[in-house]
Amino acid sequence: VKFLCVPCDQPMKLADVAPPDRGSLSVRYVCPECGYEMAMLTNPYETQVVQSLGVRVGPEGAAGEADTARAAAVAEAGVGTTSVSGGPGPGAGDGAGATGTDAESGGGRCPFASLIPGSDTASAETAGGGGAGPSGGGSGAPAGRAAAVPVWTDQASARMKAIPAFVRPMARTGIEKFARDRGYATIDEKVLEEARAFFGM
Amino acid sequence: MKTYHDIAGDGGSRILEQVADQQAAVEEALAGVRHLVAVGSGKGGVGKSTLTLQLAAVLARRGRAVAVLDADLNGPTQARLAGVVEAVPLPGGGRMSLPRARAGFGVFSMGSLVPESRAVDFDSVAPGSSHTWRATREFTLLGEILRSVAWGRLDALLVDLPPGAERVVQYAEFLGPRTDFVLVTIPSALARGVVSRSAAALAGAGRRALGYILNMDGYACAGCGEIRPLFPAPDGRDFGLPCLGSVPFDPELARLCDQGVPVTEHPDLPSARALAGAADRLLHALEVAP
Repeated sequence: VKFLCVPCDQPMKLADVAPPDRGSLSVRYVCPECGYEMAMLTNPYETQVVQSLGVRVGPEGAAGEADTARAAAVAEAGVGTTSVSGGPGPGAGDGAGATGTDAESGGGRCPFASLIPGSDTASAETAGGGGAGPSGGGSGAPAGRAAAVPVWTDQASARMKAIPAFVRPMARTGIEKFARDRGYATIDEKVLEEARAFFGM
Repeated sequence: MKTYHDIAGDGGSRILEQVADQQAAVEEALAGVRHLVAVGSGKGGVGKSTLTLQLAAVLARRGRAVAVLDADLNGPTQARLAGVVEAVPLPGGGRMSLPRARAGFGVFSMGSLVPESRAVDFDSVAPGSSHTWRATREFTLLGEILRSVAWGRLDALLVDLPPGAERVVQYAEFLGPRTDFVLVTIPSALARGVVSRSAAALAGAGRRALGYILNMDGYACAGCGEIRPLFPAPDGRDFGLPCLGSVPFDPELARLCDQGVPVTEHPDLPSARALAGAADRLLHALEVAP
């Protein structure tokens, strides 16, 4: 979609995007010539279609850049990513399988925040486990008994960025199950390597 | 007054450029893949997934580097067929590494990630309208998967397509002109009719089908060992394509599939011999393809 300032016959520039509100995006455009402002307010269907393209909406230089870390962080919080029908996520049925955070289930967050370059993702990173330190004995070492929710080290969390955002929460759940089955309280890079070897990678 | 095409860019988001970047990233990720082979049909339940996995197993046995992508995101079966249920993809070398089937090749399937008791669903703020956006979302996800996996150097990446004659064309457009198609049918007139539509759609889109495989073409009688028909005699329609092979229905193959065991571990089965022949003809077709 392009917007034209008719009096100036000039294309309008996207100025900013307000946080999503009940499925609607408020996108402000400004005419660089006369300064006239207007806003495009999307309906949920339009928002959904744009989100389905996996693109970001924002001013030049903010959207479309390779801001994968931030995008991944938002995705890490379960926004704009998968929800498995009727429940928090695969493997969560046994209770201990869930991470226990909104991050993996996507609960309580607007699923369209990932469209917006400026979304605050700090809490998402923390919720994703990145902010938590190792617990129990040495990192990756077997604990006395399986922890309900293994803790991810920053390094292990960072490596998970290689997994597509949609798939990542499910992969995390699978890795957490792998760790729990072996009594690991912490998931670090050693555990990831062990999982790779176990799955023949 | 200026019109749409008079204006460069979209004033900010670069939506079209972002989509083009995604496609370029897919091509870059697949740069080491020599042949992209999509196995489709149009008809459901004809054995596309079974043949995809088993053809890959035979090709691997022949020393070819292969991998399988289960493009049926909603009804994934490759995880079970390959024995990689609950074997999740893991990070490695900046990309995603895939779990390995018993036959040694990598497999991506949503079935590794989502239990069979659950449906794959996406967040949406437009409830009740998934028909307007879901296909787009699925292809976006598929693109994300394609560009995230460390495919490495492959002789062939086999893509198991979901059913639907229109889907064959959608995937042909999505995967690009370098993709070769193999169509799977069973002898029934019903299935052949649908596959015929898929073949016509592919031809209409200017995409190349290497041939078709006739699956469930009779069964081996447990008493006398003879191959007997499961369906009325086929109508002789060949879709205008070469037949790459004819695979009999084999309960033993079905059992192996449920257990994630490749048929190459039982090479004396009638279905194994037939699949080996089909894989060889597929290899030949790939080698001679322009």
